[in-house]
Amino acid sequence: MNKDPNKGYIALLGWSLNAIEAAENFDRRYVVVAPDWAEDYCKQHDIPYVSWNFERLNDRSLEIAETLRDMGVDVSIPLFEETVEWAGAINSVLLDNPRLYGQSLLLRDKALMKRRAQLGGIRVGIFEEAHDHQDVIRFLKRVNQTLLKLDGDPNDPIHLKAFDKAGCLGHRVIRTPDEVDTIPEEEFPVLMESHLDGWEFAVEAWIHDGKIAFLNISEYVTLGYSVFVPASPELERYREQIRVQIEKLIKAFDIDFGLIHPEYFVTSDGEMYFGEVAYRPPGFKVFELLERVYGFNAYQASMLVFDPKTTPEEVAEFFPREVVDANGFAGCFGVYPRRRVVSRLEIPESVEDHPYFESHELTAPLEETVTKRTAFGTHWGLVYFKGDDAHTLRDLLKAQEDEDYYI
Amino acid sequence: MTNPDTPSPADNDKLRGLLTKLDDAIASLGESREFAKPAKLPRVIDTCRRVLMQPGGCAEIEQRAETLEQAGLFLGSDWASPHILIPSLTTQSLKSADSSLVVIEALSELRMLAVAKGRYRHHLISDEGAHHYLTQVMAINLPLLFSAPSEAERETQGRLAEIPRQLFQYLAERIGYEHVIDELISEIWRILQQRPIQVDPVKQMITQIALCQANPEIDLGASGQGADRLVSSLFGPTQGCREDPGIEVYRERLASMDARGLQYEASGFARAMHDTGLVSPYHTVLLRHLLDFGDNLLSEALGLSSTGRDCLLCYCDLVHTMVRTAIYPETAQAVYGLALTLERGILYQPPVAPALWRQLGLKLSDWSEARLHAAFGDGVSYRARLMEGVLCMLGLPLGVGQGNNPTCQSARALSMWAYNDPDYLLQMVAWAARDDEILMHFEGQPISSQESLSGVAQTLPLDLDPVSLLVVPHLDRIYAEMGRRCLGREGDPHRWVNPEFHGWWAGRGFRINVDVATGQLTDLDTFLRHFYASYHPYYNGNQPLIHPQPAGIAVTDSAGRFIGWHAITVLRASLDPSGQMRIYFFNPNNDSGQDWGMGVKVSTSSHGERFGEASLPFEQFASRLYIYHYDPLEHGELAQVDQQELDRVVAMIQESWGADRIPAGGLQADEGV
Repeated sequence: MNKDPNKGYIALLGWSLNAIEAAENFDRRYVVVAPDWAEDYCKQHDIPYVSWNFERLNDRSLEIAETLRDMGVDVSIPLFEETVEWAGAINSVLLDNPRLYGQSLLLRDKALMKRRAQLGGIRVGIFEEAHDHQDVIRFLKRVNQTLLKLDGDPNDPIHLKAFDKAGCLGHRVIRTPDEVDTIPEEEFPVLMESHLDGWEFAVEAWIHDGKIAFLNISEYVTLGYSVFVPASPELERYREQIRVQIEKLIKAFDIDFGLIHPEYFVTSDGEMYFGEVAYRPPGFKVFELLERVYGFNAYQASMLVFDPKTTPEEVAEFFPREVVDANGFAGCFGVYPRRRVVSRLEIPESVEDHPYFESHELTAPLEETVTKRTAFGTHWGLVYFKGDDAHTLRDLLKAQEDEDYYI
Repeated sequence: MTNPDTPSPADNDKLRGLLTKLDDAIASLGESREFAKPAKLPRVIDTCRRVLMQPGGCAEIEQRAETLEQAGLFLGSDWASPHILIPSLTTQSLKSADSSLVVIEALSELRMLAVAKGRYRHHLISDEGAHHYLTQVMAINLPLLFSAPSEAERETQGRLAEIPRQLFQYLAERIGYEHVIDELISEIWRILQQRPIQVDPVKQMITQIALCQANPEIDLGASGQGADRLVSSLFGPTQGCREDPGIEVYRERLASMDARGLQYEASGFARAMHDTGLVSPYHTVLLRHLLDFGDNLLSEALGLSSTGRDCLLCYCDLVHTMVRTAIYPETAQAVYGLALTLERGILYQPPVAPALWRQLGLKLSDWSEARLHAAFGDGVSYRARLMEGVLCMLGLPLGVGQGNNPTCQSARALSMWAYNDPDYLLQMVAWAARDDEILMHFEGQPISSQESLSGVAQTLPLDLDPVSLLVVPHLDRIYAEMGRRCLGREGDPHRWVNPEFHGWWAGRGFRINVDVATGQLTDLDTFLRHFYASYHPYYNGNQPLIHPQPAGIAVTDSAGRFIGWHAITVLRASLDPSGQMRIYFFNPNNDSGQDWGMGVKVSTSSHGERFGEASLPFEQFASRLYIYHYDPLEHGELAQVDQQELDRVVAMIQESWGADRIPAGGLQADEGV
């Protein structure tokens, strides 16, 4: 697409072909900042590219910021959790706003972000940092004491998450002290949270000029397995309350622009609990789902709200109306083999014949023996569905948990 | 009666829903930039899979074949080059447990169908080419057409096994059911008439026919009648092995046969072999057995004429040793190679017999053994395998094929040496097989195949006969190096490379009718008159062509569209049985019978061709010629060719490959009109 020199020049931090394709087809100039293994590929396909290895921030970190500034880049966008603080550091130089770096650090550490949210008057569950197995056992006991459980009653579970990993990576559920021993030493330190019984959902909110430009609610059918957009009417009922929560979040974290991806619980009495927030595109291909139902490209949406040269009119024109403009519901399911030994991929007949079934990105198994699933995440691929009725879609997604894709 | 092709309304709805999804997916693939395509592919492939499983799905895919390919479905894969696809590989992919592989293969076949039916004009393959390919694919996969999935297929593929079956039902319906087998049989005969060295694909197809015939569940109807000679020539050509009893049983039977019985067997095998060019493994058992029974029976078993028999008797030690070293059931074709080598009388050339003795004792390098192992396995010794190759090449110089490799020059050279200079060929084989190095000279400068790194072919070919397998990689590098040494010279490098590469007999005089710089036709009139003067017996003093000459052809497809430049050998020009002057030539392409469009159809039999020769009427040949060599000392004078004849040739050029090569000012030859 022809690039408009009057609009922003944007650096994409991290390697994502979908993001690059979106950038190609958008009117802003862009450059991909990615490790050196991407160089040949970019040359071959004429993709603007700057080589950078995103290790921990160090003395040389200013170098990439200056390189981009000298190129005339206006802003950088993090595509992955690991590049969030890089974007903060780089943008604090490009936009001459040192606060952005501190903000990005808050958004990178799950314990810090919870405290910050708490300070901002947002409800969070009970949480603590754990540095070893003993901490976990103590927390598990304390939480269950609080809940007035007697010895022998089944414990309420607690959740363990790595401080700085995306989504479900490293997420474990612990119910008994025995299970604590299964946590490898190297996973510490971790964040521990009490379990909240309720409806978990996520939000993708594009923020421009401190205001919400577009707010999507992604409904989880089962955490780590399935999600669909827009949410069912039952959850959409809470949209106004959710909007208020997001505004609080924007204020608490002092967010002026960008895409945020927070997770919440809503309990049966309608109370919202904040889980965590990420300053990057969500996993589980929610961007693709949004494009299927709304038709706008979510990467382009992010480029739009990050770009300091974007006008409010352009933003207003870009986004469709929330919910009403969606032409159906799109969801996906992360497949994990249920059998210990598998020989081939076969889409279940009930799925194959379902009119909602769109496509899948599963591949034939490389190994016959399935490694035991220890934590959430690392599914073998996604299956996509789309249809007109939220409840049919939700039930269909739920039913997938009992289907064998690998046999 | 229900027609499986008419889908029920419910199916129809489902198919329609899927097609909407498919069209969406194809559009999104088509719109995306090249680097983003891989990510869009799975959705397209999987949706295609679902369409293919529906009744009527194949037809819908065939309709979308062009759109699918344009969207980039095959991009970056072998399927993107349909002209190099190998029919025998389809079996593997269609039986794979990987659904993407099955689907891509099926899509490629349907694409071929669309091309074959003229619905999709492909720039890389003609409709005949596609049709031909599909016939071969169907032949190789006959069981898919006639039988239900086997237990093994069900186990590995599950419901996926339906796709190849739906596909083949559809292909057979579109191409014509009853013709599949019969067409296949005539196809096999057509190929065999060219007497290729490599007969494994043919054997595979015959085996499939035999299996179908033997299977009571398969109803071939009236088709398949002509297959008997083919099947029997492989599996039971004589009384002694009529019912395909197995090698061991046959060996025992031979032990108890008297001279008359052996005589009977010998002539039976010889007849089958010379009929088809195929050798039954039983034949090798007889031949080895006959070594102890005198050379008359041996000669009978090889089906020799007086020339061949003379040769056998003169060189009986050598022949016996070759039989002992090289002839096993696994190397059966060596029998045919041996028979024809003797028949050619080339053993009377002083260096040939000693060179064959060297070949018999040749120690192969590790690399040569590894190459032979990779291509042929280790069923017999590598020396026997190579000897089989040598005998076949000497016996069938025009049976050399280039495989699916861009190495027509090297294949042509091997063929030319086997034909014209057999001891030089044997020298090349010895160097390549023993020393891993071939040394040639270019304008006095030595060129070693070891030092010249890259050839025309990007990868080492495996689909070749044993001799080509070892020698071609060396020749290819030398050829490419000669080309590199001509960089910067004005004009076409073949002028210098061809004579240096092929041999002293390739004329140093050179003519080309294409201007290398502009790609435009040039000087057609002189080009053609000089060609007539050098090659046409009516214009060159009735002088038959003495040595095979390298020449260059502008190959066109059946619509006369230019496909590429190709190397061939002009072998002779003479009158065919109907009194028409023809050029007989060798085409290193594996199958010479091609339709070059506008009525130019290369014939391989029934116009006086010898085995392996291709032929065209002189005018038609001249219309596709773009390079030839001549002896600069012999002819200076242009032939007084009838202007009308020349005009016809020029018109054929302009209608076909020359269509967009006509220089702005028009052609000189036109001025006379």
